[in-house]
Amino acid sequence: MTRALITGVGAITPIGLTAHDFWQNLVAGESGAGLITRFDTSDMPVKIAAEVRDFEPANYMDAKGARRMSRFSQFAVAAAQLAADDAGLVISDEERPRCASAIATGAGGAIDTMDELEVLLTRGPARVSPFYVPTMAPNMGACQVSMHLGLRGPALASVAACASGLYSYIEAKALIEAGLADVVLAGGTEAALHRLPIAALANMKALSRRNDEPTRASRPFDADRDGFVFGEGAIVMVVESEARAKARGARVYAELMGGGLSCDAFHITAPREDGTGAEQAMTAALKASGMNPEDVDYVAAHGTGTPLNDASETVAIKLAFGGHARKLAISSPKSMVGHLLGAAGAAGALAAVMAIHDSVVPPTINLETPDPACDLDYTPLKARKMAVRAAVANGFGFGGQNGCVVFRKYGG
Amino acid sequence: MASLFERVRDVVVAQLKVSPDEVQPGSSLVDDLRADSLDVVDLTIAIEEAFADQADFEIRDEDAENIKTVQDILDFLTEHGIS
Repeated sequence: MTRALITGVGAITPIGLTAHDFWQNLVAGESGAGLITRFDTSDMPVKIAAEVRDFEPANYMDAKGARRMSRFSQFAVAAAQLAADDAGLVISDEERPRCASAIATGAGGAIDTMDELEVLLTRGPARVSPFYVPTMAPNMGACQVSMHLGLRGPALASVAACASGLYSYIEAKALIEAGLADVVLAGGTEAALHRLPIAALANMKALSRRNDEPTRASRPFDADRDGFVFGEGAIVMVVESEARAKARGARVYAELMGGGLSCDAFHITAPREDGTGAEQAMTAALKASGMNPEDVDYVAAHGTGTPLNDASETVAIKLAFGGHARKLAISSPKSMVGHLLGAAGAAGALAAVMAIHDSVVPPTINLETPDPACDLDYTPLKARKMAVRAAVANGFGFGGQNGCVVFRKYGG
Repeated sequence: MASLFERVRDVVVAQLKVSPDEVQPGSSLVDDLRADSLDVVDLTIAIEEAFADQADFEIRDEDAENIKTVQDILDFLTEHGIS
């Protein structure tokens, strides 16, 4: 069987414009949350988000190309370029049909719809951008990455709300295992920060309103959590066949073992409180990876900081891992980076990969008052130095889509 | 005040991401300034926006078909009383 290895990492996030900066800040427990600067929030109950700051598209792509992309595609192309550079990836023309992209997103270019609708209503149809449709479409993150790097194999773009980012790793593994690709640029991207979704999610009571303390607002598994912090960003990793990686002497961060998917088939926003939907995805991921619960040391949790998610995820981890659940180190990257929505699963996957590679588990910051309903070890406040043989990343989306992906130390 | 050419040149530079030196009256939008059909539509919208405060005009599809060079834009604007 062809193994799939992680040989390059790239990220554009609120806590770093490279994967390594992201990881360093994650381990250090740095929060990326702050007051929203992108638009006026004076009439809104939620005034905080985790914004990507100082992102210059021209640092990664030509200016004209960037003008034809929505921000979510610009993030994806930048993260993919960073991952390709990190991997030292050189693709010959002969190889291109066997190189693929899998870039998931939740909302695609929804912000373009909001902006162009305003143009249509205020300035008339003649002023609507001819670029609107090919920038807004959610497949464009994948297609732009493929265009940018010359990947002529499949370009996949799963849409699965906040589980999206994990789908791409399952797809990458499947492509490589089936012998359909040797290299897959896989990850998630999201850039949907706009008044409309903030207003809608605030009205849904899904967002934290801790406006006076933005860096303390995202507090997964804490008794005083009051919702998630809206974020944006992209994470892309190079998934490469073992044969190709070995042949070029590539550095290997971790092995991508496999993943599992399920659907709650239950409710548009709430997870199954008994945790069975998420449990099913985790159990399927372990089975697909040929691993037992006892083989896993770290769980990069979905851990949104909403009252419902964190309690049901705790139940689900107990169901999936049995008695081993209490021995796991668990943490939520969202406590620092915010909720990257369609990129969130990929952020968890990157945390899992780096935890394995660097033998350190990042913390769950702001976990100050334990919630009796969340009684596992969430690595509160401080990172933990420890060997990580294998790690899983969880992601659960509105609509009940659940994803879980397993990584393992390569050669271990 | 900047000349009509200079103002058109600035819009072309911003939309097509070319250098100001490349933009001459005789420059072909497609052949010299590397625009594709979407760029040309986008450019005409930007020209309408940029000169909307000087005259009430619209670049219709049949007008846009005749716009091949920077000079064609200048001529169109002049015909509509913009100088």
